[in-house]
Amino acid sequence: MTHSLHRRGTRESLSNDFIVLGCPATGVNKKGSAPKTRKFLSICYKHGPINLGDMKTGNIYNTTMDDILSRVTDGTIVECTFDNREKIVSLLKELKEDRPGISIVISGVTDVVQQCMTEAGLGRIHSLEYSLGTWGKTERLPDFEILQTVTMCGHAMIASDLVRKMVRDVKRGRRTIEDCCIEMAECCSCGNYNVTRGIQLFKELLPIYTVHSLY
Amino acid sequence: MKADKDKCIACKRCFPYCPMGRIQIYQRHDQIPGRVYIEIDQDACTDCGMCLRAKICPVNAIYQPEEPWPREVRGVLSNPMIEFMGSQTPGRGTEEMKTNDVKGTFLPGEVGVGIELGRPGVGAYFRDVETVAMALMKADLGYQLAAENPVTHFMSDKTTGKLREDVLGEKATSAIIEGKCKLERLPEVVKVLQDVAKTLDTVFTVEVITKVPPVGEVPIDPVLKKMGMWYSINSKNNMGLGEPSYKFYDEQ
Repeated sequence: MTHSLHRRGTRESLSNDFIVLGCPATGVNKKGSAPKTRKFLSICYKHGPINLGDMKTGNIYNTTMDDILSRVTDGTIVECTFDNREKIVSLLKELKEDRPGISIVISGVTDVVQQCMTEAGLGRIHSLEYSLGTWGKTERLPDFEILQTVTMCGHAMIASDLVRKMVRDVKRGRRTIEDCCIEMAECCSCGNYNVTRGIQLFKELLPIYTVHSLY
Repeated sequence: MKADKDKCIACKRCFPYCPMGRIQIYQRHDQIPGRVYIEIDQDACTDCGMCLRAKICPVNAIYQPEEPWPREVRGVLSNPMIEFMGSQTPGRGTEEMKTNDVKGTFLPGEVGVGIELGRPGVGAYFRDVETVAMALMKADLGYQLAAENPVTHFMSDKTTGKLREDVLGEKATSAIIEGKCKLERLPEVVKVLQDVAKTLDTVFTVEVITKVPPVGEVPIDPVLKKMGMWYSINSKNNMGLGEPSYKFYDEQ
């Protein structure tokens, strides 16, 4: 339900963070949806996503676009992540003219998504879902700076300890920030991890975090 | 997940990949002198498979055994590569608002309410899930559980939210209770969740879904503002491009 909804961050950070999802509907258009889903993926790919994938196959950082396309079946849900609102506008313009037929959902800052839709000639958002935040034993959560990174994976597959280890590795000169962020993208099999935003968040994390020893 | 004690060399490389944190303990091998291996705490592990998919183990010691019921529910809800066949949807939940444009799951005047326990990085036992589900159902606020949701499938009594006894001790990376109620009951539903949040040893995220009318404000906004609720600036937005489109209004 909440795959790309609970991303945490500032407005500035989230304003260039979009997850576009293609989903066939069980009992309505799921049967025979594979070609429509492939068409949707191909259109998205043309507009330059920073990540793209299907949770059961993987994303473009751990497999190939051809593999993702070839393993699409009826009912496959695919996700494409964009780091730029202009790309979203051009994508929506094409999707408006050449509808794949499956449902399309965009996660992002609500008013920015609505602006993109308006610029693309689409009307209002059809239905929306808000996050009311995280409740309960929130003291068990990692710090907000790390939370911004780990919440980019909707299935919570990016471990907070992995982020801390990567901070240590980068500070010791063992790895580059880009290398670390690609590995985090590999952990998030659906393709929701925004590598561009990840790199920016990592740069912001480095000066405020020191990790001597994890274990 | 398990680590083969005859292969593991306790190099610790898998430790940071676990979304549940440090859940490994060192053991001394009983047959190989001086050999130390790690054992994964089977109660804390949710069988999400992340350590295995990371391909980080230099000696291929990590493996996922075939788990019997009820432990198999851990992998079903935690490993994104496994699809719960009851929902016919990859992932831990349902299609919910993703296909609202063609299915009309959430009609005007209705609000979808989802509660996802355990995420991010804390995990939730099904006894926690049951606590929330039973609190919601006991309040008798007309909350309708989503029939195809995995958690609903694990309920022995869908009118009370009671889960099967045999799954209560199992743990998932996250588990979602999904359903809907009338918009006017939302404040009461939120109050129930606020109260039950104080009793849990885990975290949960709350999400609300609404159909956006062609004109006028988003129906849920004034309700949330009146309640003084924080809600995110980012949201999931259905574009309304699915076909055939569901007829929500008579004039459509």
